[in-house]
Amino acid sequence: MKFGGVTALNAVNLHVNKGEICALIGPNGAGKTTVFNVITGVYTPTEGEILFNGANVIGKKRHHITGLGIARTFQNVRLFGEMTSLENVLTASDVHKKSGLVGALFGTPRARREERASRERAHELLEFMEIGHRSDQLGKNLPYGDQRRLEIARALGTEPQIILLDEPAAGFNPAEKVALAKTIQKIRDRGYTVLLIEHDMSLIMGISDRVVVLDFGQKIADASPKEVQNDPNVIAAYLGAPSDAS
Amino acid sequence: MAFSAKRSSRRGYDVSEELNLRDQGAAMWESWNRPKRVAFAIGVIFLVSLLPLAGNFSITSILNTPITSYQSVLVYPVGMFVLMALGLNIVVGKSGMLDLGYVAFFAIGAYTQGILGTKTGLSTWEILPIGTFLAMLSGLLLGLPTLRLRGDYLAIVTLGFGEIVRLIALNSRATGGPNGITGIPNPTPLFGQRFTLDNPKAYFWIVLVMILLVIWMIRRLSVRRPGRAWEAIRQDEDVASLMGVPTLKYKLWSFSIGASIGGAAGVLYASKIMVIAPDMFTLNVSILILACVVFGGMGNIWGVVLGATLLAYLPERIRFITDARQLVFGLTLVVVMNVRPDGLLPRKKREKIAAKDKE
Repeated sequence: MKFGGVTALNAVNLHVNKGEICALIGPNGAGKTTVFNVITGVYTPTEGEILFNGANVIGKKRHHITGLGIARTFQNVRLFGEMTSLENVLTASDVHKKSGLVGALFGTPRARREERASRERAHELLEFMEIGHRSDQLGKNLPYGDQRRLEIARALGTEPQIILLDEPAAGFNPAEKVALAKTIQKIRDRGYTVLLIEHDMSLIMGISDRVVVLDFGQKIADASPKEVQNDPNVIAAYLGAPSDAS
Repeated sequence: MAFSAKRSSRRGYDVSEELNLRDQGAAMWESWNRPKRVAFAIGVIFLVSLLPLAGNFSITSILNTPITSYQSVLVYPVGMFVLMALGLNIVVGKSGMLDLGYVAFFAIGAYTQGILGTKTGLSTWEILPIGTFLAMLSGLLLGLPTLRLRGDYLAIVTLGFGEIVRLIALNSRATGGPNGITGIPNPTPLFGQRFTLDNPKAYFWIVLVMILLVIWMIRRLSVRRPGRAWEAIRQDEDVASLMGVPTLKYKLWSFSIGASIGGAAGVLYASKIMVIAPDMFTLNVSILILACVVFGGMGNIWGVVLGATLLAYLPERIRFITDARQLVFGLTLVVVMNVRPDGLLPRKKREKIAAKDKE
């Protein structure tokens, strides 16, 4: 992936296995979010391919890619602030609906059935993310932590196979981080694959099955959390040498 | 000190509660059951449909407009403006696309009626779907290449489109050039009502039916997938697309539905007024309709209806002050928009209502 003369991602070969929690770490500007943007179709890579279940998704429209089963959250919370939590999730779950404008206008049986089903599912997802009591509040009025949870609920609303979480723990206190780690594991246990960008090392080491490290747009490590922690390249680029004092 | 602070905050609270007609009305509506709602709706529709007769009674004759015929004013501008403002509201208020060339669709509807009405034997009721469809089609054709643009860029393109349509009407032989088209036939009688110049209330009732249809449609769409898609696009188009909303498709729908309502209004307008000319379809009309939407409250049906009614009716009501009329009109706009920047009845805050609904 190049932006003009700047190479943001260079020969990054990233593979995520079904059902795992894969963490993507690296210093600021390493290209982590760019990876997400390339996968979800925000940017079209200058070279290379992105295979999802064996099919190339490059060049596909964003909503098609989402429909295939790739969902994401954002580093800075980007909810639909003037919609209620429920509507936020409903909007996302509309991607798999077959009925559209005509169905909505005349209230066809299929449209009614789909609407009812997606409402049930949306409520269930809000409960799953532990914000069921917020369903009628506007997105912008939610406390920060619940906004982040709602973003995940909205992403799950698209019925993804893989969910890309962009720094879900940013701004969280330690207790909230622990709760989030549990939630991410719960998401994985429901059968979703998770690709996670995060800076909090204890969170990552605690829950990821595999860690991929990016630096200056290049992959410098791809191994289990333990191995990565002891990798001299990673320590030099990102983790930093353990000081003698500690 | 503390006492005065407490007082003022309490007063502020009370005032906002009193002024909050929108939420109160909505809460009242939510608390009713279906028969009560239907009865209320029928009652309101009945009262509104009696409006043309209001000029005949001494109590309500204050509504009468000097100089211009009151019943005609109810059709144009009031009814037509409400209809067009509702159409434009789908584009601007619901989906957040600034359309400055809305008059083009009104003109397309009007010229469809003008040309087909004078050249063929089709009645207005047969031309109405044709004009609506042609306006929709032109909205689609304009939208396909241009709806990739956003914000100011889209505004400029639509502004250009409005001018193009007017200039074509001005320079083409089929549209009669600057003289326009004369002798457009009135609609044929319907339900025993004659549509003639001396019977404007028949037009009013037809416009009312069209307005009710449009309101029904918008309310239907708003709570389901299309409404959510528009709302998402308005708030953050990029995120909407990443959450699976086919943005271009729903923008096109929004644009062409808005266009078709403008077209329908145009057909009826041409058929009532019998003469159309290019200078009726200037940028001013687009701006005025947009003002109705913003003045009343973008995105809220009732706000738009109220805004369009007031902005269409008031200039006629105060016509007797001649030269000062525009000044008063402009001042009203400036003052109201300063006091209520989100319009008279802003987009409702569904939060409160939804919470009430649950209790």
